[in-house]
Amino acid sequence: MATQTAPAPVRHRHVSTHRRRSRGMPRLKTTVIAAAAYLIGFFFLFPYLVMILISLRPQTELRSAVWFPERFDFSAITGFWSTGLAHNLTVSLQVAAGSTILVLLVALPAAYYTARHNFRGRNLFLVLVLVTQMFQPTAMVVGIYREFFTFGMVDSVISLILVNGGFNLAFAVWILNAYFSSIPRELEEAAFIDGNGRFGALFRVTLPLAMPGVITALIFTFIAAWNEFVVALTLATSPENQPLPVALQSYMGQYSVNWQELFAGSVIATIPVIILFALIERKVVGGLTAGSIK
Amino acid sequence: MDHPPDEKAVQTVNKKFVGGAVLAVATMLTLASCGSGSSTGTQGGGETKAAEGGQVTLKMVAADYGDGPGAANSGEGFWKSVVDEFQKANPNIKVEVQVINWNDIDKQVATMVQNGQPPDILQTGDYSGFVKDGLLHKVEEIVSPNVQQDLLTKFADFGKVDGTSYGLPFVSSARALFYNKELFEKAGITEAPKTWDELKAAAEKLKASGVSQPFGLPLGQEEAQGESFLWMLGNGGGYKDASGKWAINSAQNVETFQYIKGLVDAGLTTPNPGTKDRKTVWEDFAAGKVGMANGGPMSIPIFDKGAVKDKYGVVAIPGKTGPLDTTLGVMDWIMAFNKNNHGEEIKKFFDFFYTGPAAEKIVDLYKLLPVTNGGIQKLSGDEKLKPFLDALPNASFYPFQDPKWSDVNTQIKQTIGGAVSGDPAAVLGELQKVAEAG
Amino acid sequence: MKKWEPLAWVGPAVLLIAAVVIWPVVEMIRSSFLEISRFGVVRGSAGTANYVKLFGERVFGDVMVRSVIWVVAVVALTVLISLALAQLFNQKFPGRKVARWALIAPWAASVLMTAIVFRWMLDPEVGIINVIRWDLGTFVQNTFGIEPSSLGLLSAMGGEAADQLGHASTSFPWLIFVAVFVSVPFTTYALLAGLATIPADVYEAARMDGAGKFRTYWSITLPLLRPALTVAALINVMNVFNSFPIIWAMTKGGPEYDTTTTTIFMYILKGANIGESAAMSVVNFGMVIVLTLIFLRVSRWKQEVA
Repeated sequence: MATQTAPAPVRHRHVSTHRRRSRGMPRLKTTVIAAAAYLIGFFFLFPYLVMILISLRPQTELRSAVWFPERFDFSAITGFWSTGLAHNLTVSLQVAAGSTILVLLVALPAAYYTARHNFRGRNLFLVLVLVTQMFQPTAMVVGIYREFFTFGMVDSVISLILVNGGFNLAFAVWILNAYFSSIPRELEEAAFIDGNGRFGALFRVTLPLAMPGVITALIFTFIAAWNEFVVALTLATSPENQPLPVALQSYMGQYSVNWQELFAGSVIATIPVIILFALIERKVVGGLTAGSIK
Repeated sequence: MDHPPDEKAVQTVNKKFVGGAVLAVATMLTLASCGSGSSTGTQGGGETKAAEGGQVTLKMVAADYGDGPGAANSGEGFWKSVVDEFQKANPNIKVEVQVINWNDIDKQVATMVQNGQPPDILQTGDYSGFVKDGLLHKVEEIVSPNVQQDLLTKFADFGKVDGTSYGLPFVSSARALFYNKELFEKAGITEAPKTWDELKAAAEKLKASGVSQPFGLPLGQEEAQGESFLWMLGNGGGYKDASGKWAINSAQNVETFQYIKGLVDAGLTTPNPGTKDRKTVWEDFAAGKVGMANGGPMSIPIFDKGAVKDKYGVVAIPGKTGPLDTTLGVMDWIMAFNKNNHGEEIKKFFDFFYTGPAAEKIVDLYKLLPVTNGGIQKLSGDEKLKPFLDALPNASFYPFQDPKWSDVNTQIKQTIGGAVSGDPAAVLGELQKVAEAG
Repeated sequence: MKKWEPLAWVGPAVLLIAAVVIWPVVEMIRSSFLEISRFGVVRGSAGTANYVKLFGERVFGDVMVRSVIWVVAVVALTVLISLALAQLFNQKFPGRKVARWALIAPWAASVLMTAIVFRWMLDPEVGIINVIRWDLGTFVQNTFGIEPSSLGLLSAMGGEAADQLGHASTSFPWLIFVAVFVSVPFTTYALLAGLATIPADVYEAARMDGAGKFRTYWSITLPLLRPALTVAALINVMNVFNSFPIIWAMTKGGPEYDTTTTTIFMYILKGANIGESAAMSVVNFGMVIVLTLIFLRVSRWKQEVA
């Protein structure tokens, strides 16, 4: 019963739930459901809690078969900021934010126009979008590298932004197109007649209504670009252009791995995404509905 | 279903629109910062090209022998100190070093070369793959004769393809058997094993005393070719026979793997060795969970950091009938690409490296062994390194100089673990086929 | 003027797709017909030799079959589990918001790091999953006198029994488990979104008609959920096919080639023969497209998504 989150008509819902509630064993049922949900939540968090625990283990206890170390060692986490990896964190941020913006700038007009107008090549465009959705950069690194080399753009942040933008465009166009299609043309027309002008109507009425879709596209692109690894590994060769996931690989030395630092870095890399996500979680649930609204 | 959430959403339009405006501002800010980020990128690219005006920039790619960036022994730190000193003496030559970890260096260099942008200098584990494409300087073009003569002959010979030297030995390493004295004592073993029979007996006693990995056996992708070779040497085998022909599935090698398979089946080794990497086995040895394992000088600092510090011994590797009089000599290479015609400048840098304190420092810092006669003499006093230095002159090597080796090596890493879980003769036979193909 | 209007709106998107996605595909197809040295120097045309070599690889057939099993198993399990989870997390209970946040973690974290930490948890000497099996094993041994191995538990760390990533028969299920683990959050969220659009009056009506819980779910919830389900499953098919980091980090496709899928095989080949590796990618593409088309056919997507 996602009450406020549900964009769907909700008129009688509260009444009905209450009525049902009052008839027998609601307490127990809710408790069981809550317990199950917490347990599952914990299950999904578990590997990341383990990650934190390993990052806090002292070197000498790394290979002990225990739940908790005898002594906690915070040096891997506090030391993170002095390793220069903080810089790679900002590279990650640039790549993720840059590709997200690129995707929105390019996808919004395309999705809006295809949703509102029938033009020659419209179907071809939609097929193109669907097809590119199937391609994953992982499988094509060699081709990508060769292309960017041709243009002398290897080892730059901008090329990572372009690649991540390009590969996430399809999903954004798809979601936004569905969302725009679901917004009745009449609303926009009404605003237009009220003297807002074409673009005024678009910006004041349609775009805000499509916000959940925009946010969904945004978070998808952001997460995908934030975690992208294989292309960044190939394209970003010098340390100052490497996003964090790639930079972390250098903790895997030839003869030994710095597990504590590796996991501390991963935990630190994950936190910004979780915060971002938690902030707009409600909108994401709303936005994903787009495909099913019709 | 047919109608979207219009009424409700319209009421909140104003609120959402404000959100949109904030987003737009954030957009512009981020765009601005991206812009500046990319422009520095282009400047970096321009620098290399502006090399003509009297100053030459040598681009060097090196593998990281240390524990990664930020570590006290990071490759960046090491090379910076070398380059700083070199540049002081040679103000006209600038050396830009890019240190890449071992997991990625081959792939990254491959992509650089693929695109016609090789570094001037490359320091990594293999040189032979570049020779066929004519990409490398000859050694006499890039070091002085006195440096070339001081190199250990046996090592330098492996830098040759068809009689011409292309690869310069950079550092070397050898292998020996490490054993955990404490675990041996607990199991009632008085002496480190010298033969395969003794090894098996010791492993059985260790197992009985509760050691989970009596013999640490890493035959996984990371270093399977090294571990396998050590065992092959123990039975007079190897990847090639005395005449230089591939002999991966020779009778001796098949027998060797049958013996190892026996150990594995009896639970006397690391479980499923074909999926275990050397790093993990060494971590376990350091933690006191492994009775014995093959290692090198570079394992000493790793073991010293763990629970086995001061509790382990080093001896020659047991062979079928007695301890090995040879060992796996491993060397890494340094080489120069001829694309930019920087031979003169490279020679200055290499001479500086081999004759100055840099080559010694790398031995100290990373527990690697030297590749020059001079270097070995300087180290002869070191007690811990003695078993390795003794074996070094008579070392055996991978068939690096064979252009087929890189293909064979890839295949060994992936499949040789199967020789101790399945049929040794069949797996070695497949590898032999790869070596003989084309 | 009017004629060029679509170009202004849609053009940039087409341009970006063409430059970043289509071009490398073309480049890849081209490379698959070239002879390229290990270090990428082009030595000339190879004709179809790369494909002949690829199809002749001893393990090629196994790799293809395994890839299909991988995709089908991961997607099917993901969808089934997500349906259940979405139902659960759609209920009202205190702290629902926080519980939902916990679900985000596998989605937000890098897949590579998740895979690495799972490999750590399965480590035969120190992995936490094995520590649990060991603790439980000790418990049943001491309390009931049951041999731990008869229950799949451990009596000691570090041995063969603790090494689940050592055999394909146990490691492949674990790989699938991790792939499902990282796919479930997104899918569950998509289905939650779908559930949120189902108006309460529909259920009310079903209740009036006296329909039971499962009947209501089967004949009302599921059909209404189908569009969201289709979108989520489709995205999973395409992502999972290429979920390279999981296998790479946990088994590197080993032992031998026993857990290798097409993408992993492509990477292994890349170390020795770039042309053959490119041929593998082309075959990989073909397979993704075919599987996706089959899926679209089966789900009759046009009615829902287009």
